[in-house]
Formats: sequence, structure tokens, C-alpha cells
Amino acid sequence: MPNLFPRWTNLLPLKIAVCVGATAAGIALAFSYYATPKALTVGYQPSQPIPFSHKIHVDQLGLDCRYCHSFVEVSGHSNVPTGNTCWNCHQHVQRDSPKLAPLHRSMDPAFPGYDGRPIEWVRIHKSPDYVYFNHAAHVNRGVSCQTCHGDVNRMEVVWQDQPHSMAWCLDCHRAPEKFLRPLEEVYNFGYDPLQYLSENPQLGVKTPEELGLKLKEQFDVKPKESCATCHH
Amino acid sequence: MSKRIWQHPEVPAGETTVAWRSAGQLEDSAAFRGWLEREFPQAAAAMDDDGDAEQSRRSFLKLMGASTALAGFGMAACRRPETYIVPHTKAPEWVIPGKATYYASAMPRAAGATPLVVTTFEGRPTKLGPNTLHPAAAGTDAFAQASVLDLYSPSRSRRVMKSGKPASRADLEAALAAMAADRSAKTGFLFGCDVSPTRMRLIASLKEWFPSARFYQYEPLAGESLRAHGDGVRAVADFTKADRILSLDCDFAGVDPQGAVTPFFDRRKPEGKGYAAGPDAASMNRLYMAESAYSVTGGMADHRLRVTPSQLVLLAGQVARELGIPLAKGIDEVANPTLLEWIGPMIKDLKAHAGKSLVLAGSRQPAAVHHFALAINKALGNVGVGKPLHYRQTEATGLASLQDLVNDIGTSAVTSLVMLTPANPVYDAPADLGFAEALSKLATSIHLGTRTDATAHAATWHVPAAHFLESWSDARAADGTLTVVQPMILPLYPDCVSEFELLLALLSDDGKLVIGGGKDNAPSSAYTAVRDTFATLGGAGDAPWKQFLRDGFLADSAPTVIDPAVAFTAEADIAEANIAAGTAAGTLQVVFATDASVFDGRWIDNAWLQETPDPISKLTWDNAALIAPKTAKELGIYDQLIEPEPVSKVLGVESKYADVGPDGEGLRRTQPMIDVTVNGRTLRLPALVSFGQAENTIIIPLGYGQGFDQDDELGRGPDHEAHVGLVGVNRGFDAYPLRTVDSLYFAGGAKVALVGARYPVALTQEHHAMYGRALAREVSTLADDQKGTFAAQLAKVKKQGNDSHAPPNLYLYKPQGSATWNPGPDGKAQGFLTDELHQWGMSIDLSACMGCTACSVACQAENNIPVVGKREVARGREMHWIRMDRYYAAQKDNTFDADNPAFVPQPVACVHCESAPCETVCPVNATVHTEDGLNAMAYNRCIGTRYCANNCPYKARRFNFFDYNKRNPLIRHNLERGPLGVTSVGEPQHLQRNPNVTVRMRGVMEKCTYCVQRLKDAVIRQKRGQKQEALAAGRPSPELAVTTATLRIPVDSVKTACQEACPADAITFGNLLDGDQSALGRSKHIERNYDLLHYIGTRPRTSYLARVKNPNPAMPDARFVGKSTIHMV
Repeated sequence: MPNLFPRWTNLLPLKIAVCVGATAAGIALAFSYYATPKALTVGYQPSQPIPFSHKIHVDQLGLDCRYCHSFVEVSGHSNVPTGNTCWNCHQHVQRDSPKLAPLHRSMDPAFPGYDGRPIEWVRIHKSPDYVYFNHAAHVNRGVSCQTCHGDVNRMEVVWQDQPHSMAWCLDCHRAPEKFLRPLEEVYNFGYDPLQYLSENPQLGVKTPEELGLKLKEQFDVKPKESCATCHH
Repeated sequence: MSKRIWQHPEVPAGETTVAWRSAGQLEDSAAFRGWLEREFPQAAAAMDDDGDAEQSRRSFLKLMGASTALAGFGMAACRRPETYIVPHTKAPEWVIPGKATYYASAMPRAAGATPLVVTTFEGRPTKLGPNTLHPAAAGTDAFAQASVLDLYSPSRSRRVMKSGKPASRADLEAALAAMAADRSAKTGFLFGCDVSPTRMRLIASLKEWFPSARFYQYEPLAGESLRAHGDGVRAVADFTKADRILSLDCDFAGVDPQGAVTPFFDRRKPEGKGYAAGPDAASMNRLYMAESAYSVTGGMADHRLRVTPSQLVLLAGQVARELGIPLAKGIDEVANPTLLEWIGPMIKDLKAHAGKSLVLAGSRQPAAVHHFALAINKALGNVGVGKPLHYRQTEATGLASLQDLVNDIGTSAVTSLVMLTPANPVYDAPADLGFAEALSKLATSIHLGTRTDATAHAATWHVPAAHFLESWSDARAADGTLTVVQPMILPLYPDCVSEFELLLALLSDDGKLVIGGGKDNAPSSAYTAVRDTFATLGGAGDAPWKQFLRDGFLADSAPTVIDPAVAFTAEADIAEANIAAGTAAGTLQVVFATDASVFDGRWIDNAWLQETPDPISKLTWDNAALIAPKTAKELGIYDQLIEPEPVSKVLGVESKYADVGPDGEGLRRTQPMIDVTVNGRTLRLPALVSFGQAENTIIIPLGYGQGFDQDDELGRGPDHEAHVGLVGVNRGFDAYPLRTVDSLYFAGGAKVALVGARYPVALTQEHHAMYGRALAREVSTLADDQKGTFAAQLAKVKKQGNDSHAPPNLYLYKPQGSATWNPGPDGKAQGFLTDELHQWGMSIDLSACMGCTACSVACQAENNIPVVGKREVARGREMHWIRMDRYYAAQKDNTFDADNPAFVPQPVACVHCESAPCETVCPVNATVHTEDGLNAMAYNRCIGTRYCANNCPYKARRFNFFDYNKRNPLIRHNLERGPLGVTSVGEPQHLQRNPNVTVRMRGVMEKCTYCVQRLKDAVIRQKRGQKQEALAAGRPSPELAVTTATLRIPVDSVKTACQEACPADAITFGNLLDGDQSALGRSKHIERNYDLLHYIGTRPRTSYLARVKNPNPAMPDARFVGKSTIHMV
């Protein structure tokens, strides 16, 4: 019987297997790179036009979140500060820092490259267009900035700290007692429930878990899970 | 083919009402049966076959596959792109990113400015609502709602043009400076017919600057009412005081407003405004209507008479005569016994309510009718302060007419012209006036307008006008109150100029247009002018001015009330009154009608209005001649008019009924064309049967046919293509050439001939046709042998149809949990009411709804609803969340006038069933219930099976067959091109979008959400109160318990877009848990309240209130009024 298959075909199954494997791996890689939702990218940390340090401003200087993000309590959108908010201080402070050149360009008519154009901050947290998220609804009801954005007070450059996926949202909507804080502690990055309880013994609550339940009860927090809460 | 059919019960025996939506249904054509049985029309889901054959579904999929592959491997753009947050450098006052700001403004109009509150997001005006503080507030109509789209219209004029060619603003300013320098110039100024104190002040300045200048005003359909009772005298009707109303062809609730109309509708509700009292028939008003064809006002009438225009003049004269008013000789008496039978008891009723009755003459009626109406009102003691009618002397005096202008050009008294009117005189002036020729004689003519229309091209200069949302102005509202027009945004395009800025440039030495927003921070010159005017009227200083801007009006600022004298002895009146004599036998009378979509033609490029079905004919995107069925039969064209003739082209051969279902509807629905010959000119246009229209009349809506391109269905183009944009091109038929100076609104002696051609029409009357028993219910205040007294009829409202013997509802949903598993706080299974703060509900009062479709356009503006274009509408794919059903209902035994069926409108949107049939069939749970009782639609979950629409008995769901939002459906074949089509992302109309509502994509179902974004906003705003309480108490927040009162929004504090817009207050929305404290709670507990299709057990949250008619027992047709309960089986 003649050789039906020439000799070089001996390695063909292996070659095919390697090719198929490489293609499959390529597709898997491409899929995970291109097609997975980037709202979930924890650790996304783009560089900003001005290397603004939250650590300096919040931790060292003790600025409140609401000095810059001034409308977080009234609007769904937590605003990024306008140029003149920065300029309030920086027309006096650190005037000559080269890092602040973009601010001078937009605010300081005496600056050589002044063009009056706004600063383009790179967006870090993005919910999809079909999601409606409202900051005011959360911070006014005892959900802290820290809960969703992490320890921003320690960040030199801000990164995304939590996966803002629907499952992550629902974790809290289903069990808000694990995350609620007293209203006066919402903007406090150093909040420690045990310390709060020891300072307020009249509440009659011993553990952080009990505090969460009490807050949920007192504030009548009943987060909704139905679709139209966030999708409309 | 067809879906499972719910076997609706038969019409009850002994039912005397015959109801229908279309002529096809009345004649029980196969077409209508087909529509009833499907939720979308035949072939709505199929690809088109002519012209689009190359884009079949298969090739589309191939393309899709290829482009996906390309996208996956070639384009790094799929990676999360870096996006930027760009805050202001200097924060503007009041602007909070993400929150709407509201400003008072107004839309100037000839009938009185519409006071508005404008919603703006980060400086973009997105939505208009009524200013409810304003004394003349009366909701908004469809035009006001749609006007915001004009601001962002892609076809809006953007460039200065000189003799049709682009020019620069500097050239224009030089020309203006040259004009201003010539103080002896014989310049004419042509204004619109709205009243503006600042304009009149500037006219005085212009008179000083140019001593030979002359001033005119013109709008084609402003009518006689502007001058009938004296120069600048405007009538103001006060409907709160009118117990009995006789309307002489006056569509005062529709396109011919005479004063704030909401009080009229308040008195259509037997329980009064807000349903505060028990039903009282005596509190209702009564409307007598004499008109040629149905108007929305006529649909509300308790007694309606069909008359030809010539009869109407005689009828008005007859009423005057019978009231003992001495008439000039030569006006014929009414001889028609039917008319006399109707007039007699009607006059008695008016007399019995002397001082509390009101006679209104339609603006476009001849002067004679206006004079008669004034005489009648005076004889009845209805005129004066505190009476149903008064007249005010506005400052808009000394303005001559368009005819005077043409004469003055002829005598060279005017050698240059500045046209500031919103009209388009080259297109819409009477044909025999010769305005276009006169205009061409002028050395200089400047046209200011938002569109590059016929006049823009005919003038030597065209200046793009700023929209009223971009301009400073002031205006008088319908009651004369001074109202501010303030800009929301600087003009979108740098060349745009407002009227006053242009006038003020002519009053300066350098001709500079000062529009504000410049580097020098100088305010617009119009701002200074308006403020100076206000200082003389409302006081100097900042405080009154700021109050004016905040409230939008100056209280008690209406001009003086005057008492006009009656004058009807003029020879001309008599000649007009006797136009009947000129009507030869065998000819028809033509009524040139105001169109509900384009008005006089100025809205031709507004896609929302074009796509909104006409309230009466249900025609979209075109106009058509309307003919009464009997007249059509006499002319021998009735059969052709009601039978749609589907024609398909296969291999170039036209064949009837090819590849279309038995309905013949959809894309190939055509209407026969007729030739209407009148005044020696002929117009060819399609014809429709119109019920309730006077015999021997033909109604032709004006304003269409302004420009055509090569894609026109009738091959009329290219012709004046540049006069219109993508929306208005190839739309309808221009009837203006038929009008002459002597027959502006009516013409006698018309001949009609059927021609062989047919024209495709997009008629929505049979789309989404519901069926069931007692859909719209009606009762009468008049006692009836069969139906009993008013009280008995009210008590039976809930049992109409077969609801009296329907079994109790079975609830599809089981309560959550049980006594042993996941029980509620009381240890039992948890009920359905999961949100104890808010449970939303709505009621729609058919007694107030006139079917004007303002709600539908308001919904479109609020909820980012796309337009789909004529071809898609023809296939039944219109996206309106609110469908305005329109039924005709006749009484079989009607012996007075069998051809005058009742007109019953019924708006239907999603009714938010508690037991929603759509929810049970969705395979992916994309439509589910929320805790607060909404039937929610999660677009991002929807996979487009359309099972839900199939299962919706109300046919309230709409499907995005294409990416209407992203790909402009008005570009030919653009939709079918899929990814290869032209996207419209980034075009100006996207700036109008409501940022809080998802813009839906292809393949997604959508429907009414009860404006969930507004509800969420109200609830979240309310939650902020808790924080304030905690901070105010100064104690640790965990000690503070919130109450229902803290978290529940205040009673009646949130309004849906449709409710807000409704001029009739027909829509009531609120929280069911507020009980009788809220208008909604009260409306749900009155006897007129019923559920649509109650007997199928869907438990809708939207309920309807039965219509009440208040007939006069002495009238010959009283027995046939108030019985129009609609059965569709």
C-alpha cells in the first residue's frame, strides 16, 4: 500500500492544534481587551493635565470634598471644580509651580501662554449612557464618597477604586446597612464607626453592624432594586 | 400571520351608536380588519422591496458581519477612549452641572404671546412648559411645544445672503450703515401681527430717523379679527364667565385662540377644576358650534351645526336679526328649515343667559361676521369688564396692510423694504396681489427669517433670524399682560440677528449689529431697548426689572379696556354677506384652512409637527383636500376615496394587490388625486373623506408644497429645493396660488374632477387600532328614557360595555413569600404595594380632552422620541408614545342630521397595568414592574422580540425598527443602509435631547414611562430634606427618625410632560397614596372614572373619566348627544 500521506503531514495535526490554540487564545485575549466593560476597570489611573494631589489637599490641608465638588449634595452630577475655584487659592499660593501652567493658561491673563480655555481633566469614573446615577440621592442619605471612590485622601493620582458594575451597585442596594454612615460622617475620610459609637453612647448601639441597622431604620432607607431606579 | 385574537364580546343589543375610526372601517373594508389583528402593520417588519432590493436582510447581515470583523481587528477605537471633563473657567451664576434651570419667557404670536417656562440644561434650552403664574396661562399647544426644535433645526438659516449668495456680516453692516445714512429714504417696514411695546417704541424712533418711512403688518392667516373692531383692538374672551358659548367657526381651543382657554375646559368637568365638588350639570358650560368641517373645538361642542361658509354669514345675520338688532338691508334671511330649527332654541338659550353668554367669530371669517358677533354680544350684555368678553386697545396701531404695501411700492412711496414678519409673503400672499413682482422692483429689500424660504431668496438681503429663545423682546399675551421674551442662549450661529437688533442697527450711524456676548461684554442692543421700554411701563430700577424677568410678566399691565362701536352698514359687508348668491349650483365652496401641523407654512421644516397626525384627518407629512362623504358620492368619487389601492412594482410591471396583505395598508396606501379648480386656477392634490363636514365644501389646508427635489413622489422637483430643508422638501401641495385678495379664506364656484393619478399618504387613523367594548364612554346631562337621569347615567359609567357582568379580576401575581417564608412585618405574605411612599397613577378626562395632540409633541420633546419619516409612518412605525385615537360615532336613529357624527378623541399611552400582559411574555425580563407601580422598560436589557407589543391590548408599545435617533430617516434609503448610512450624531438637533432620558437604539422596545425621570428627580429632591432636618436639629443624625411626610413628595408637586402641556387640564397625575388630598385621588373616586378594557383584568394605573355632554333639551338634536360610547369589535 502506497503512502497516501506524504511525510510532512506527520506534524500537521500538531501544527493545526497549535494554530487553533493560538487563534483561540487570540480571540480570548481580543475579547477580554476589546469587549469587556471598562466601567469595571479597577485601577484605571490616567495622568491628568495638572498632577493634582488629593493627598495634599485633603489629607494635609484638610479641605472638605465639597469645597471643590460643590454641587454633590444638590445635583446628580458631582461637578469637577471650575477654573476659578482653583484660582481662588492658586493666584496666591504656589504661583510659580510649573505644574500649574495649564491653570495659568486658562485663568491668568498675565501668563505668556494665556488662552482662557478650560482645563481638560481626564475622566476616570464613567457609567454607561443607559445608567442614571445621582450623587445627591446617595450622599444625603448616608453613603460616603469613600464607599465608592476609595481612600481618595491618600491618592496622589486618582484611580478607580471600586468596580462600578451593576452587581456592585446591587450589593449595597440589597444590604445598605453594611455601608451607611451617620450623615455628619459622610465626608469624613477618617471615619471609624467604633470611635463614633464611643463618642455617642446615648445611641444605645454597641457594634458597627447595629449602627448600620439603626441608621437604615431611622433614615427609612429602602434602596430599590427595580430596573427603572437606574435605567430610564 | 395574525396573532392570537382576543374574542371581544359583541356590541350589546339595542346599542344605537355606530362608531368608526376611518371610512374603511365604516364600510368594513378588509383593510381595517387587518389592522385590528396585528400590533404592527403588514410588512412593517419586512424590508422594502422597491429601490432597496439590494439591501435585503441577508446582504445587511453580510455587511454587519464584515464590519464587526473589521471593527474587532482593525479599530483600536473600541478600547475605552480617553474622555474629558471640561469645567467652566469662570462658573456662571445659577448653573449647576446636571441640574435643569428654569427661566420665564414667552413665544410671541399674533393671537397673543404664549407664556412659557423654559427648561435649560447647562445653557441648552430643551423643553418648554407653560408659565402657570401668568394670568393668561393656558397650557401650551403643539406649536409652542415643537418650537424648541426649530432652534436646533439643521435646515435653519445660518448665513447672511445677498441676492441668494452667501455674504459676510460686515457686508450687511455696511449696507445697513448706508441705509441709515440716507435719512430721506422711503423705507417700508413689514412686521408680524404680534403686539410688542418695544417694537412700537422703535417704530416711533424710526419715524423720527426716517421721516418718509412707512410701517405695515402681515401674517397670511391672522384674519379680520385684528382690525374688525378698530386699529389695534384685540378681543379677550373670559371663559370663566361664559355659561353659553356660540362659536361661529371659531376654533378657539385649537388654531384660533381668543383668550386663555383652560377655564373653558374647567367648566367641561361637572365636578369642577381639580374634581373638588360633586357632579353638577348646572356648573357646566354649553358650546354651540357652527362650522364647515370638524375642528378640535367643534369636537367639544354640545350642539354642532354643519354649515358652508356662505351659510355661516347668513346664520350670523339671522341670529342678530332674531335678537332684534337692526340690520342693513340686503342680507338674506336663512331659509333652510334645518338651520332655523337649530337657531331658534339656541338663541333662546343665549338670551336666557344674557350677560353670561359669549359669541365668538372665527378670525378668518369676513368682517361682516365679526360685526354681527359684536352686535349680538352687545345686545346680550356680554361685553365689558367682568363680562365674558372685553376689548383692549393695544399699542399696535398705525400699521398698514400688505395690500397697502404693494400699492405704495407701485406709487414709489416705498423704495426699500425691511421684512421682519414671520410670514413668507412671496409664497403666501394672495396670488393676484403681485407681491413678488412688487418686491422685485425694489432696489433694496432685507428679509429677516429663520428659514431660507421663498421670500429670503427673493429679497436682496437675507439675514438669519435669531430664534425667540435667543432674543430679547417683549410681547402682549392674549389678555394683554406685558410678557418678557428673554434669551436662553446666545444665537447658535454667529450671523443670527434678532428683529430689534436689526432695527437698532438702522437707528445707528455705523449700522453695527450689537448682539451681545462679545469680548467687550456689551449687552445686546435689544436688551437695552426692552429694558428701556419696561422702565416706562413697570418702573425704573433693578427691582421691578428683576421681578419681571423672574415672573415673566408684569402684573396688571394689560392695556385699557375700550368699548368698540358696532359698524356693519358698510357696503362691503353686505357684499361679503351675500357671497352665497355667487355660489352656482353644482359647484363647491373651498375653505382655505389653517393647518394643525404647519400653521400657515412657517412650520414646514419642523419634523415633530409634520409627523404629528392631524387631529382630525390623522394625516401626517402632507395635506389633502377633505370632502364630506355625501358630496364625494354625488361627485362619484366616494368608492375611490375609501378604497386604498395597493400597487407594487415587480420587474418594472405595476400590479395591483401584489405581495401585500389583504389590508393594502402600509407603504402602498394611496389616495386618488383630484383637480380643484377655483378662481381660475387648478390645484392637483389627494383627497380624503372627512366626516361631519358640510356638504358642498372642500377643505384645503394651507402651508405645504414649498419646495421639491428630484426624489419627489410625483416628480415635481427639483423646484425651489433651496427653500426648504430635509423635513419640508416634497411635502404636500401648495394651495396659496388659489387664494385671491377677495377670497382669502373662502372661495365659491370650485369644480372638482378626479384624475387618474394616486398619491401615497401616511395616514395613522387605522394604526394601532384598539378593539374592545366601551373604550371611550360618554354620558349626557339630559335625562333619557333608556339611560335615565344624569345621576343614573353617571352611576352606570363603570358598568358600560360589558363591565357590568365581567367577573372579578384574577390577579396574576402572587404576593411575595407566605406566612412561613419571608413574611411581611405583620407575619403574613407581603402585599403588592412595596413602596409605601409613592404609588403613581394617572387619569385622563375625556370630558376635557379635545384631541389637539399637544401632549404627544410635549412627550416627544421630553422623552427624546425620534421622528421616523413619512415612509416609516406609512408602515405604522411611528414612535409617538401617546397615540391620539379619534373616533367618529353616529346615532342610528339620528333624524336631525345623520351625517354629523360625534367626534371623540382619546389619548392612549401605556396605562401601566398592575397585571401587565407585556411583562409575562418578555423572555429577558426587560419590562418589569417597579415598586412604585410603573411598568418599567429597561432598554439595555431588551433584545427586541416584540412579544410585549404583541401582547399589549392597548397597543401602547413602540419598536425601534431602525436606529432612528442616530441615522436620519429623512435621508432617502438612509435607514436601510445600516452601518453605511449617514449618521446624524453631533448634528444640532442632538442638543435638544433631555440628558436624563436614554436615547434608544435600534431593536429596542419603548413606551410611556410616566416621565420616570421627573418622578425620580422629585423623589431625590425630597430626600435632601432629611439632611436639612438633621443639620438643623444639631444632634447626631442617627437619633433623628424621618417620617413619611419628610420623604413623600408634596401633593400634586410633580407633573408629567403631557399633563404640563395640556391646555385643557385633561390629564391628572399624582401619587395614589395622597388619597383625596390630591386631584388624582379625587378623580379616581368620582363616578365617571373607569378603566380602559377593565374586563380583561389588567388593572391599569391610568384610568379615564367619561365624557359628559351638556345638551340643551330644546334643541332638535338633543336626544342624539352624549351617547357616543365607542365599541370597536
